[in-house]
Amino acid sequence: MSPANSALSAAGTAAPPGRPRHRGLAVPSGVLGVLGIVGFLATWELVVRSGLVEPRYLPAASSVLGELASLAATGSFWEWVGLTLRTWAVGLAVAGVAAIVLGLVIGSSRFLRQATHSTIEFLRPIPSVALIPLAVLLYGTSMQATLLLVVYAAFWQVLIQVLYGAGDVDPVADDTARSYGLGWTARVRYLVWPSALPYVMTGLRLGAAVALILTVTGELVIGGGGLGTQIALAQGVAVTEMYALVVATGLIGVAINLLARAVEKRALRWHVSVRREAVA
Amino acid sequence: MRRTATAVLAAAALTLVAACGGGDSEETNAEGDTKIKVGVIPIVDTAPIWLGKEKGFFEEEGLDLEITTTTGGAAAVPGVVSGDFDFAFGNVMSLMVAADQGLPVEFVTNGTSASGQTDADFGAVIVPTDSPIKSAKDLTGKTVSVNNLKNIGDTTVRAAIEKDGGNPDDVDFIEVPFPDAPAALSKKQVDAIWVLEPFMSQAIADGGRVVSYNYVEMSPQLDIAGYFTTKQYIAENKDVVERFTRAMNKSLDYAGENDQEVRDIVGTYTKIDEATRAKMVLPVFRSEFDRASMETLGAAAVTYDTLKSEPDLDALLP
Repeated sequence: MSPANSALSAAGTAAPPGRPRHRGLAVPSGVLGVLGIVGFLATWELVVRSGLVEPRYLPAASSVLGELASLAATGSFWEWVGLTLRTWAVGLAVAGVAAIVLGLVIGSSRFLRQATHSTIEFLRPIPSVALIPLAVLLYGTSMQATLLLVVYAAFWQVLIQVLYGAGDVDPVADDTARSYGLGWTARVRYLVWPSALPYVMTGLRLGAAVALILTVTGELVIGGGGLGTQIALAQGVAVTEMYALVVATGLIGVAINLLARAVEKRALRWHVSVRREAVA
Repeated sequence: MRRTATAVLAAAALTLVAACGGGDSEETNAEGDTKIKVGVIPIVDTAPIWLGKEKGFFEEEGLDLEITTTTGGAAAVPGVVSGDFDFAFGNVMSLMVAADQGLPVEFVTNGTSASGQTDADFGAVIVPTDSPIKSAKDLTGKTVSVNNLKNIGDTTVRAAIEKDGGNPDDVDFIEVPFPDAPAALSKKQVDAIWVLEPFMSQAIADGGRVVSYNYVEMSPQLDIAGYFTTKQYIAENKDVVERFTRAMNKSLDYAGENDQEVRDIVGTYTKIDEATRAKMVLPVFRSEFDRASMETLGAAAVTYDTLKSEPDLDALLP
């Protein structure tokens, strides 16, 4: 099992980077993806049109998409998107840098790994949302309050992956580096970092998704602007617009995932997990 | 490529650090106006402050007003106590509860008040048209939704039930946010809902019937909410508080006299459509507090266990 694959299976759900190898049906995955979306939208439309749910509470897919299209023509919509993306990006950047640095330091020392293990396992499962009262007390209803949630949630996603990655260094290579007299910095630079990079990329991709979820949650519950706040404003008084905004956050999620995969592929283009599939 | 990425990350981290620091007392803008930050909920009730800002009432007092919206009312008291807001909009029961818990909060101006009419108000208990509940006493033993438990909603509804001859202790209150309440009622998940405008109009349009205008039942002139800050802030910023109070009172009186302008300004900070805005019942906006109504409310809150002891109105009111 390649390091990238074991990292991914440690993460649970994600598929390996690159194109999946398909057996049997020779349908390109892109087509299947589109079919899935069309099927979902058709079901949504049917459920509403058949009167199963009242359009007053859940408007049909067609009217929601129409509303989204007219929203997208307004400048303020893109302002909201910009605010959300800013919080997401700053949150992910802070969490990512902190987690990578701490992960490499902790991961390259057996003593630190063992000393921090139980603390990390204790802090990691605390839901970020539970920190909302603390965030509001510290930062009021500003963007920083949401940022606190985003950083907290994304940090653990990345840190755990980096820790696994730093622990995955080939012992022979490590011994070789030591016997050639490479110092700590050199070992991190030439040995630990390349070994951990596939894990780091997985961690960042998972962190990116979590960061978006927490950004919208924070904006919704705390306020401070962005798509989440607009969803809260539209609740009950502008139902179609609310669902249009919800769809918009979903689309941003898809875009972020595609972007993360592209970055991953590029950063790991030398790595066997990406190279092999590119050749095949 | 890598260097750019590093620079971007460093810049992001610095922005964060810079944004986290910095106090906020007595800052002035380029024109020498004092900057103040006021936390409000984006609902109909806060129309006067938006209107006052638009009319320049705050500028006249040398105040550079920043209105910050919070999604729920829960952020108002912590926001003011932590110093994030200079002032905030809060309902009288929330403030009484905060004072009851020993937080040093005090109103500086009024905010919204009940209509003073027994047959129309901006908040009501609503049931489905075909419901056997005919008046407040029939709510005994039923489920009623309110936006927050142990607050002004359940307290005034209990009082209305008792006044009508029902048993105020035998009511099952559950928390449902206002926007979701009309749907909960039409799906019969609750027997009755307590909602404010614009959800009251919406619930009536969906086939709802008003059982009680609980604010008016408590006291026709009941003050519902106001703008508050901490006692410490009042002691340290006497001048700012006086100027804010003057501008806010002017805004309240102006809003009270200009119905259409209130309906228009609501459209600028909420997503309530024009048709609903034209129809909805507005709260009364006036600068004077009605102290007697607050005494009634405070006594009722003690009776129904919302408060431990009767509020000290001398400490709570300006």
